Amino acid sequence: MSSMRFAISMLSVVGLASIIGTVLQQNQPYESYIVNFGQFWFELFEMLSLYNVYQATWFLLILFFLVASTSLCVYRNTPQVVKDIQRFQENIREESLKRNKYALEIPFKDFKRLELIDFLKGMQFKIREKKINGQDDLIIAKKGDFQKLGYIFTHMAIIIISIGGLMDGNLVFKLKESMGIKQIEMQDKPISEISKKSWLEISNFSYRANMLLAEGESQDVAVIPVKDGYLIQDLPFSVSLNDFKIEHYASGQPRSFESDLVIKSKKNGEILTRKISVNKPLTFEGVTIYQSDFQDGGSRMNLDLINLHSIAGPLNMKAEVFKHNVMIVDNKKVNFEFEDFRLFNILDIGPEKNKKPKNVGPNFRFKIRDEAGQAREYETYQLPMMVEDRYFFMSGMRNSPQEDYKYLRIPADADRSLEGFTIFKSLIHDGKKIDKAANQLAKKNLIETKEVSQDLANSFKAIFENFVSGGYNNIAMSIDSNVPEEKQEQVASTYIKIIHLIADQLILDYQDNNPTSTPFNFDDVTVFSQDALNGYSDSFFYGSNFWVELRDFDHIQASGLQLTKSPGQFWVYLGSIMLVLGIFCMIYIQEARLWIVRKKGSKKITLAFASNREHLEFEKFVLDTKDKIKRFYSH
Amino acid sequence: MKKNMYDYGFVALLSLLGLYALTNFYSYMDNYEVAILVSSVAGFSYLGIKWARFKYFFIASFVLAFLSIYLYQGDLGQSESKFLLKYILSSQSAIMWMTALFPLSLLIYWFYLFSKKEFYGNFATCMVWIAVVFASAGLLIRWFESYLIDVEVGHIPVSNLYEVFILFCLIASLIYLFYEEKLNTKKLGPFVLIVINAAVGFLLWYTLAKNADVIQPLVPALQSYWMKIHVPANFIGYGAFSVAAMVSVAYLLTENIFWRRHLPAKEILDEMTYRLIAIGFIFFTIATILGAVWAAEAWGGYWSWDPKETWALIVWLNYAAWLHLRLIKGLRGNILAWWSIAGLLITTFCFLGVNLFLSGLHSYGEL
Repeated sequence: MSSMRFAISMLSVVGLASIIGTVLQQNQPYESYIVNFGQFWFELFEMLSLYNVYQATWFLLILFFLVASTSLCVYRNTPQVVKDIQRFQENIREESLKRNKYALEIPFKDFKRLELIDFLKGMQFKIREKKINGQDDLIIAKKGDFQKLGYIFTHMAIIIISIGGLMDGNLVFKLKESMGIKQIEMQDKPISEISKKSWLEISNFSYRANMLLAEGESQDVAVIPVKDGYLIQDLPFSVSLNDFKIEHYASGQPRSFESDLVIKSKKNGEILTRKISVNKPLTFEGVTIYQSDFQDGGSRMNLDLINLHSIAGPLNMKAEVFKHNVMIVDNKKVNFEFEDFRLFNILDIGPEKNKKPKNVGPNFRFKIRDEAGQAREYETYQLPMMVEDRYFFMSGMRNSPQEDYKYLRIPADADRSLEGFTIFKSLIHDGKKIDKAANQLAKKNLIETKEVSQDLANSFKAIFENFVSGGYNNIAMSIDSNVPEEKQEQVASTYIKIIHLIADQLILDYQDNNPTSTPFNFDDVTVFSQDALNGYSDSFFYGSNFWVELRDFDHIQASGLQLTKSPGQFWVYLGSIMLVLGIFCMIYIQEARLWIVRKKGSKKITLAFASNREHLEFEKFVLDTKDKIKRFYSH
Repeated sequence: MKKNMYDYGFVALLSLLGLYALTNFYSYMDNYEVAILVSSVAGFSYLGIKWARFKYFFIASFVLAFLSIYLYQGDLGQSESKFLLKYILSSQSAIMWMTALFPLSLLIYWFYLFSKKEFYGNFATCMVWIAVVFASAGLLIRWFESYLIDVEVGHIPVSNLYEVFILFCLIASLIYLFYEEKLNTKKLGPFVLIVINAAVGFLLWYTLAKNADVIQPLVPALQSYWMKIHVPANFIGYGAFSVAAMVSVAYLLTENIFWRRHLPAKEILDEMTYRLIAIGFIFFTIATILGAVWAAEAWGGYWSWDPKETWALIVWLNYAAWLHLRLIKGLRGNILAWWSIAGLLITTFCFLGVNLFLSGLHSYGEL
């Protein structure tokens, strides 16, 4: 098990598993995996714990074996390394010195033994002296022992880092879970109803838990997501959120997220008031609190439901995010489930190629659920947005979370409000006004007899009312069934023109009767009228009769905190420092051994060199050392 | 003795620069940033003493940067009206010069390899030096420009893919130039410049197709002094691994008689690959550890198995195995050369592929 082959094959498996973990997005809701892979693969992957590879038992087991294997390796090799460090290769034979690749003889006048030794010591050599054959001098010098220690350092470092990592892993929980002491909670329920089996005590020594805290709220437990369920972590303190702030750059992008927290210890009632932000966490009683994200904390909204298809006045609704808001419409219950309110929305806006981030103001997301339980999702922006040089109120609708939103665009009037569209809607539902407009239009066209003109006006009116009852779709259907195919296109364009002209006429008449009214103060009101017709027509596919208009709101935010207790961190950092030192030793310390022999009475010495790594750098070192010794003797 | 004078002069100059920054901008810095400034002065002084040409490179970059700052006179709009700014000394123009000079030097290097005329070799080296001066001046100017947009927008330009690609070109070239001088051979330029030009190609595409050169403010997670250390350390690693892979390509080519005549000796190539991977490995290790420390501060955990982290681990394991085999098993030769080339693929995936194909916490450079 301590063999390198074993270690390398284990490492390869870790590498492969890690790659799987990066390709397959981890810790997603399990439904999304089912949608992506289908039931069969979903179950197979789940069996292999591929949705949380890094917490999988088999993955931890491999890590464990790696640690064990490395430990064994260190255990076996350390005595040898220590011995090597202590040992001077004294029993070297003269023959092998002569055959040494780097052997060199240097003549001298005077051996100067003691000075030579000092000189070598000055070059960082450690020295041992010996007499061979009872008479010849042998000096054994060596340097760079730390290179060998580098091996031990790096391997110890890996063991320490792994142990630190395992300390912060969920091994203890896994054990307790397998013994049935603990259990993952799978259902969404109030904290008070959650079984004690799914609670982790304050004494739990390592965790990474989340807390979602609304402004003004206080909590003393956090949630740990595990697989497709969760656990409750009891905390040694309570946290309350006084205020959550997002600051923005001039361009609108968020610059900082900050939470004003008040933390109260359960043990001694000590109170700490502190601001935390991203990159500036706070540690209290061994638990570190991080700013991690944010969302709505139950904002209150005052809304008007504007019926898109009738002239009935708006219904008022007071709603709260995350609450179910039931409205009775036409004796039917309609459930508005608000899911999010955002004060700032930064979108890339502008012509293609030159999009710039811009804040487009508040929006809110909600579901409308009918009595049958069917729900559609909506996303509505409060302020009009510039599209193709005009302003529109935008609301997206989709039938399921997998779809993209399809946007309904209602044109803003000259005052940038919905008022213009509301008036427009009442105009196109007013039979008398349509009569008048149709007549005027008929008169403007070929006038032969009054009778023909009246017929014409009637048919204009019929076309228009057909539109009003179902949008362009109605027109298309009636053309489809009444007009021969080769003429359909021509008729369609005529019909559309008639609808446009009547709508324009309605607005002009309205302006004549209400000269002080401002919503239609456009240079060219026909653009507005066409946009309004399009919006009205599209609204039949909106899935709801109501446009939800935000009148005012009370913005309540919630801050997403992360609470971490990580006793392994110290060990991981310690190991990391050792790792860097170890690598540095291994790579940059030149290990070298040098033997110097002087035969008794001889006027020359013989040098020999060796190293466990004899590459170019070592050769340079040898040349350098030889030069220095030569110079030592030539002085 | 004369050499020493230059060294002292350089250290004095750097210290003065550091002091100037400290006295003028102290109120904007936290203690860590002061420490980073002081260690940069020390680090660059060391580099300048060890490597004479680095001094000239450093001074040239700063002269250009200061000239640009002088010309801007605190108004970003000047880049449209002043000739020098518009065509040379705004960061975008400086970077454009860089992107023009790298392909040019690649061509000249190849010409040199076959013509064997020293003149072309020196010419190519000179071009690379000018390119790196433009790269580093460009980054310095960009740093300044970000503050001209708004003081609160200002940040060191290592925060997105566009900026780090310039950093990559800069660091990889410097690493190459160092070894070119040390091993006294210009014959690897034709290979190393390929990988640098690949980065230049990406940079150009990214600039033209995606308008990536626009300076964006920092998201909150990146607002930390850690960015100043973590990112450059990482790119010394990436740069060294990339250059090593190209040297390995040359190594493998020496199998062929034709190429052997044109390339340095196998031992030199082998040694150079080793040294590059060794230095890259040290910096990559440090960078990954610093990243973990930063993650512990920003994301609440030193290791989250985020795709970038995981791939960094894979890169690390790969080169750890490479060094293991070489240092402990004494393995040499083609296998290690192929391995180092494969290492470049893994490194590239970690550096770029993760941003392109995977999502995660490191999503600052999406396409």
